[in-house]
Amino acid sequence: MQTKNIRNFSIIAHIDHGKSTIADRLIEYTGTLSKREMEAQVLDQMDLERERGITIKAQAVRLDYIGKDGEMYQINLIDTPGHVDFTYEVSRSLAACEGALLVVDAAQGIEAQTLANVYLALENDLEIIPVINKIDLPSAEPEKVKQEIEDVIGLDTSDAVLASAKVGIGIEEILDAIVAKVPAPSGSTSAPLSALIFDSHFDAYKGVIAYVRVMDGAIKPGMKLKMIATNKEFEVTEVGCFRPALTNIQELGTGQVGFVAGSIKNVKDVRVGDTITDATRPVAKALPGYRGINPMVYCGLYPVDSSDYDNLKDALEKLQLNDASLLFEPETSIALGFGYRCGFLGLLHMDVIQERLEREYNLSLITTAPSVIYHVYKTNGEMIKIDNPSHLPPVTEIERIDEPYVRATVIVPNDYVGTVMELSQEKRGEFKDMKYLDVNRVMVTYHIPLSEIIYDYFDRLKSSTRGYASLDYEITDYQTSKLVKLDILLNGDPVDALSVIVHKDKAAHRGRQLAEKLKGIIPQQMFEIPIQAAVGNKVIARETVRAMRKDVLAKCYGGDISRKRKLLEKQKEGKKRMKSVGNVEIPQEAFMAILKID
Amino acid sequence: MNLGLYIHIPFCQQKCFYCDFPSYANIEDLQEDYVTALRREIAAQGGIFSAYVVDTIYIGGGTPTVLSAKLLKQIIAEVKQAFVISPEIEWTIEVNPGTVDGEKLTTLFQNGVNRLSFGVQSFNDHLLKGIGRIHDQQQSIEAINLAEKVGFQNMSLDLMYGLPQQTMDDLRESMLQATKLPVKHISIYGLKVEPGTVFAKLEEKNQLALPSEEVDEAMYELVMSSLPQYGYQRYEISNFARSGFESKHNLKYWQDQPYLGLGASAHSYFEAKRFSNVSNVKEYMQRISTGVSPQEQCEKLDPKVLMEEFCFLALRTKSGIDIEKFDAKFSSNFFYAYGHIIDRLKTKKLIEQDEKHIYLTELGMKYGNQVFCEFLLD
Repeated sequence: MQTKNIRNFSIIAHIDHGKSTIADRLIEYTGTLSKREMEAQVLDQMDLERERGITIKAQAVRLDYIGKDGEMYQINLIDTPGHVDFTYEVSRSLAACEGALLVVDAAQGIEAQTLANVYLALENDLEIIPVINKIDLPSAEPEKVKQEIEDVIGLDTSDAVLASAKVGIGIEEILDAIVAKVPAPSGSTSAPLSALIFDSHFDAYKGVIAYVRVMDGAIKPGMKLKMIATNKEFEVTEVGCFRPALTNIQELGTGQVGFVAGSIKNVKDVRVGDTITDATRPVAKALPGYRGINPMVYCGLYPVDSSDYDNLKDALEKLQLNDASLLFEPETSIALGFGYRCGFLGLLHMDVIQERLEREYNLSLITTAPSVIYHVYKTNGEMIKIDNPSHLPPVTEIERIDEPYVRATVIVPNDYVGTVMELSQEKRGEFKDMKYLDVNRVMVTYHIPLSEIIYDYFDRLKSSTRGYASLDYEITDYQTSKLVKLDILLNGDPVDALSVIVHKDKAAHRGRQLAEKLKGIIPQQMFEIPIQAAVGNKVIARETVRAMRKDVLAKCYGGDISRKRKLLEKQKEGKKRMKSVGNVEIPQEAFMAILKID
Repeated sequence: MNLGLYIHIPFCQQKCFYCDFPSYANIEDLQEDYVTALRREIAAQGGIFSAYVVDTIYIGGGTPTVLSAKLLKQIIAEVKQAFVISPEIEWTIEVNPGTVDGEKLTTLFQNGVNRLSFGVQSFNDHLLKGIGRIHDQQQSIEAINLAEKVGFQNMSLDLMYGLPQQTMDDLRESMLQATKLPVKHISIYGLKVEPGTVFAKLEEKNQLALPSEEVDEAMYELVMSSLPQYGYQRYEISNFARSGFESKHNLKYWQDQPYLGLGASAHSYFEAKRFSNVSNVKEYMQRISTGVSPQEQCEKLDPKVLMEEFCFLALRTKSGIDIEKFDAKFSSNFFYAYGHIIDRLKTKKLIEQDEKHIYLTELGMKYGNQVFCEFLLD
């Protein structure tokens, strides 16, 4: 296949705007899979993805299409993850393409996440083809949405494709637009090999399989290849393309998208964004844009049943086989025992991993409050990075603490602008910009601490705007804040897993809320339990769980022991769900309580 | 081998407001037929258990004494005919003071009943009315004195604390009054609002003026400190007796002894099985009359459950778990199964140990459930 007949593209869309359905229709229309073989949304392989309607891992598929000119085209669709946590992965997928479909719901208009990805696509010089989807909906306003795209992004929408993937309108037009507008790859077949890794997965038999886009040169089995960033070498055993099942081919040529396998054991050696080259004839320079993995959010994961510790480790290792961005290391908590400190790209990533651990590996877990990475400057001149509040040095040793800030972009109907601004202000946000997208919709930009975003900003944003607001954020910088560690003491002893780092001005309020909430959760015990919220030595809130006065089963009716036994079993079940810290038994819910306070 | 019998009489003149036991008011017309059915069950079981010597019998309810002297006499006669009765028998019947007269008491006494358990609950008429009792305090005093005259030596009465509107003084006076009467045994229970009762409904509507937790606790402490001063020693969590008058039948429940329940909803424990009869009175009668077994549930206890029950039941008694008995029964070592929790409970001062026994401390008695559930194995 000559490079002039190759087209590589991605789809940019907000959740629910129809990306997966369009992909399905394209696969179906080009006969890549017969209808019988089609499963709805073939590209989203994991159950979880299908349920949540989001794409977690990028996938790819090769389509064969005879264009209007009668020539055969090889069209590669690279699917991208659709969430803010995976911005880097998205950018690498986009870098593997020459064009992108911008899919916008004809009834909903542009959302914050879409916008962020369009900018990424523009940065990568992609040709963007606007597609207005769901035009069959009664509430569809394609003209208005077109106008919005022109106003906000500055794209010409005069030949935007009007489509409804659901009912099959506009599919051929999309394919023709791809052929006509997306540039063919421009690489050189004779230059040394250079291929971009945009994803990978682990196969128990073949090892790590790298998903690549060949920029220059070609890959054939038997070649000795090198990955530039990790400096690992391997011999190619298989190359192939996605139909969408992995299908071996003889050669992956310039401009093509496919996979490479070569008994690579560790997924960490195959980094998204890294460049593969010929070990015997290497390129001088790696492809631009490579970045190491940077988890932004950390939390502790502890098995409810301590005997599940090894199972948790196995499960994390297995998940890591396919997810190099998941980091974990052993951690011990006085309250929760042995567990793991885990690093995630963001909140959704954290959610997804937790859910997979619980669902696929049948583990019951306690999660500690998520934390960002704080830069703690000590009085001795040293700077340490802290992702676990309980590791914060004593106040006397701290000169200052810096925390990560993000640029948060919120798109919201203008009725809710006030609400969003109020919330952002409350969350220590600094107003940056406000722009009308059309008469009804506003884009507001704030500079805001990441810790506030991961605490409850997103949930509150959604609930206070009845779900209309969409959010995107990216880390911009670190800034010094007046931060303190808020400790919770039960019966006089601090419970490490309940400590959080908060802004000084908010400590009293958070402390009161937490103490109150814990009072409702911790059951009465044989003695009175003082609950204290403290900053340093200063107690800022106090509640008391009164002592259980007595606990006796008195009357035994006519020798009915079974009934007594059932009551005791119930009580025992309750105890099992408790963690003992000192003398105090704490239910699991208490550790969850700290995650959310209404 | 010895055997205890429990005989259930599911009739009441009026259902008490706190009561969730299987007993019913307004089905007096079933009494005769019920006794007929009960007698058939007694006769049948007597045949099966002919190798056993019955050394305790407990006729409970409901209110057994709502039955006429004639019906009571029939039941007693049937039991004597069907079972081998020990000459040392402890034969108890529960008595509601509002349902007996000299004739009935005499009939019971002359036919072999030798222990009475009076449902007194309180000696305050106002409180009695408030919990749905049909008798007043005067009737209680008279009935007990009358029973003594008839010849009963071994009598017990039940008291309750934590009643709506009850004060510490009420409780103190009731205990004082109880100890002035010729009773050798006092059972004392804290009120617990059970689902489905009149009290549960009132509580739901916020119309139940229960003493605060603090007062309830103070009442408990008062009971535990007062009764021993009057010569009633605590031998089980809720039971106090003068020396030698501990209830042999009740101890069977706690000390892993077999007992057979007769009548609707009666529970049995025999050869590692717990079984019970249907609790619906009409269904019970129907089954008996058609020759179908009234047994409804039967649970064969596996060794783990047996161990657990052995422990948490024995712990209710003052002497606690007999370690040697445990080891012999289970061909095992008590500390192998429970050593780890014993230490923990000792640290919490909930249990103590001597050479042969593990038993609850006073604190342990007060928080009994906290200890018992620890004895359930994983």
